Amino acid sequence: MLRLWRKIRRTGRVAEPAPPPPATTRPAAAAGLGGSVQIRHVDAGSCNGCEVEIGAAFGPVYDVERYGARLVASPRHADALLVTGPVTRNMTEPLRRTYEAVPAPKLVVAVGDCARDCGVFAGAYGVAGAVADVVPVDLEIPGCPPRPEAIVEAVRTLTGR
Amino acid sequence: MNIAQLGLEVAVAVGVLSAIAALLVPDQVRAAVVGVGTALCGAAGVASGIGAICGQTFFLAMPALLPLSGVTVTADPLSGVFLAVTGAVAVAAGVYGIGYARHGLHGRLAQTAFPLFVVATQLVVVAASVGTFLVCWELMALCSLLLVLAEHQRRPEVAVAGRWYAVMTHLGLVAILIGLLVLAGNATGDSFAQLREAARHLPPGVADVVFLATLVGFASKAGILPLHAWLPRAHPEAPSHVSALMSAAMVNLGVYGIVRVGFDLLGGGSRWWWLLVLVLGAASAVYGILQAAMSTDLKRLLGYSTTENMGLVLVGVGAAGMFASSGDTVLAGLALAAALLHLINHAAFKTLLFLSAGSVLHATGSRDLDELGGLRTTMPVTTAAFGLGALAASALPPGTAFVSEWLLLQALIHGLPASGVATAIAMPVAVAAVALTAGVAVASFVKAFGVGFLARPRSTAAEQATESPVSMLAGMGLAGVAAVVLALAPTLVLPAVGSVAAHTLASTGPVVTDAVTVRLAGAAGALSPLLLALALLAAILLALGALRLAAVRRARRAARLWDCGAGPLSARMEYTATSFAEPLQRVFDDVLEPETDVDVTHTRESRYLVAAVEYRRRVPDRIERRLYEPVLAAIGAWGRVGRRLATGSVHRYLGYGFYAVIAVLVVLTVIR
Repeated sequence: MLRLWRKIRRTGRVAEPAPPPPATTRPAAAAGLGGSVQIRHVDAGSCNGCEVEIGAAFGPVYDVERYGARLVASPRHADALLVTGPVTRNMTEPLRRTYEAVPAPKLVVAVGDCARDCGVFAGAYGVAGAVADVVPVDLEIPGCPPRPEAIVEAVRTLTGR
Repeated sequence: MNIAQLGLEVAVAVGVLSAIAALLVPDQVRAAVVGVGTALCGAAGVASGIGAICGQTFFLAMPALLPLSGVTVTADPLSGVFLAVTGAVAVAAGVYGIGYARHGLHGRLAQTAFPLFVVATQLVVVAASVGTFLVCWELMALCSLLLVLAEHQRRPEVAVAGRWYAVMTHLGLVAILIGLLVLAGNATGDSFAQLREAARHLPPGVADVVFLATLVGFASKAGILPLHAWLPRAHPEAPSHVSALMSAAMVNLGVYGIVRVGFDLLGGGSRWWWLLVLVLGAASAVYGILQAAMSTDLKRLLGYSTTENMGLVLVGVGAAGMFASSGDTVLAGLALAAALLHLINHAAFKTLLFLSAGSVLHATGSRDLDELGGLRTTMPVTTAAFGLGALAASALPPGTAFVSEWLLLQALIHGLPASGVATAIAMPVAVAAVALTAGVAVASFVKAFGVGFLARPRSTAAEQATESPVSMLAGMGLAGVAAVVLALAPTLVLPAVGSVAAHTLASTGPVVTDAVTVRLAGAAGALSPLLLALALLAAILLALGALRLAAVRRARRAARLWDCGAGPLSARMEYTATSFAEPLQRVFDDVLEPETDVDVTHTRESRYLVAAVEYRRRVPDRIERRLYEPVLAAIGAWGRVGRRLATGSVHRYLGYGFYAVIAVLVVLTVIR
């Protein structure tokens, strides 16, 4: 316990200084959230590359939580969905149900090239389509995988901070 | 002739007549005749008990009825309490038995033993001599043993439970016999009045032996640690109305015996006796409720809960003895009144719980919580009854047990300034034990009610359950009404209980009551259960109203129940009793010592591929394992050694006889 405290004290703050706020326009639904966005992450068939980057974005270095975003454990608690990967056939219905379970106003962010247009998996036998084919998408983050900076920027677009 | 005597005579006559009627009447009406007879016998017992509590007394001597000692019967307020409790439980169990016995329990033997059991239990508390007491005690044990074994042809476990019960109850009887005979040996006769007289000038040490020996016997009857092993076996296997009688009426007599011998016959005794009683009680309460929280068998859970509640009663009795020995009789009266009130409350809610558990067993054929569930829709009355019983047992306001546990805690807390190092250490520890017990009891009963009755059915038997017949519901209803009355208006019984405690300890009344409020005499503290319940109800209504107002302002939408997107939900996804208890089991790992086995089977091709994983977990009774198994193993080993002597050869047996005669002759020659 003491060692943990010492480690915390020695390490100090590792978050990078905040970049200037993004210039992109905020989706209309995000304006009603008052700068605090609860996010549910859905892996619709990703290769886990995007997950690693999301993990980094929410980690101590990029620390996206300081802009008012937070990962939650259920769509019932969420304002926005962070969907990664091409939507596989097995995940089509769960993704649709997850979207229905989010209380309005709700937002969907498609993370990575696969989520935008199926990426390298386009036309594969198990892939049902891009995220936009299943649920309406409000924001897209390009990249394979997208850099944490890009994810931070998209989330800041939602929170407006 | 007064009500006490008349009631008792009617109770005995009606009980014996129903037992005889059970032998004579045809199968179709036997259960009804016996049920009505037992209920009437119980009602007469209640009348007699109330008469005795009010101070009526009588003395009956029938010297010809039993050889050597004869039968003497008397009643005082203390026996009145137990008489009334036993009678009330018998009323509910008798009415319930009419419907319950239809399914294979209408046999002559079981139906004859049932009213006899009630009569014997009522006679134990009015016995006025050692001979009468022991004969009634044994009659009670034998009748209950027959009833425990009633279903032995259906399930082999019943025979095992019966064997445990038979052995332990008779070992208890031997201990009581030794204790009372040692006392009677120092007196001029075997009547309780003579014993009381003799106890004033007993040689030092003899009183200790008497108390310890009787404590062992009575504690085993009350299911107190470490002599509780029969209780969680016999209670589940007995028919449910018998379990109710055993758990709510018979185990009480263990407490009766301790109070009767300790306070009345031996006149208080030393402080360490009562410290021992208090420690045993506190340990039983905590251990009993922990085992109940781990249990997935509904009736076993209730059985362990009986151990817990008897433990709490003994905490009160022990505290009363400690206060009395330091001269604080008002506080002692409060502790004893709390103990007696808890005993009455326990009888009410445990009857209700066992009867509703029996109703579930009757409808589904299962006691395993992990196979029940979803009974709310198919068995609404039973669910309501069990819910009421679970609330009553949970020591939360407005539950029944709350009032008595509050009184008990008040007595223990006000006992802190009392003199002596032992008291100063014992009281805070006892408070902690009672508090811990109350907390775990809530978890156990939330588990029993939530897993057993709510959510979805986990088996087809639970799905196809139907509500029980009217007579069973009526029995549950009677017990339920008693539990509600005791919860909301303890002021009806508390003055009587207080005066009984005061009478037993020769002090003044420890509690003062008006229409709704209970006040402690000689200590600060007041409680109005009725006002508390009304305030709770008002708060709930207010909260619901506020929620409704807040909800009106928002748009409503119908949404699918969240099932992680996979759906559909099945009963296999529900919280089970085992998983509900798991966190608690982890917390009390060192106390419970659960056993887990993980067997991994690999595929034949590779050690890295798993074909099947088997996981087993059980929480054995640790005390049983440490204390009983070595003894049983030793007895078994001696038996095997002894068998070598008996090979079946007649010559050898003749040889034994011959050598024995020679040995006796040699010994006689040497001695003479």
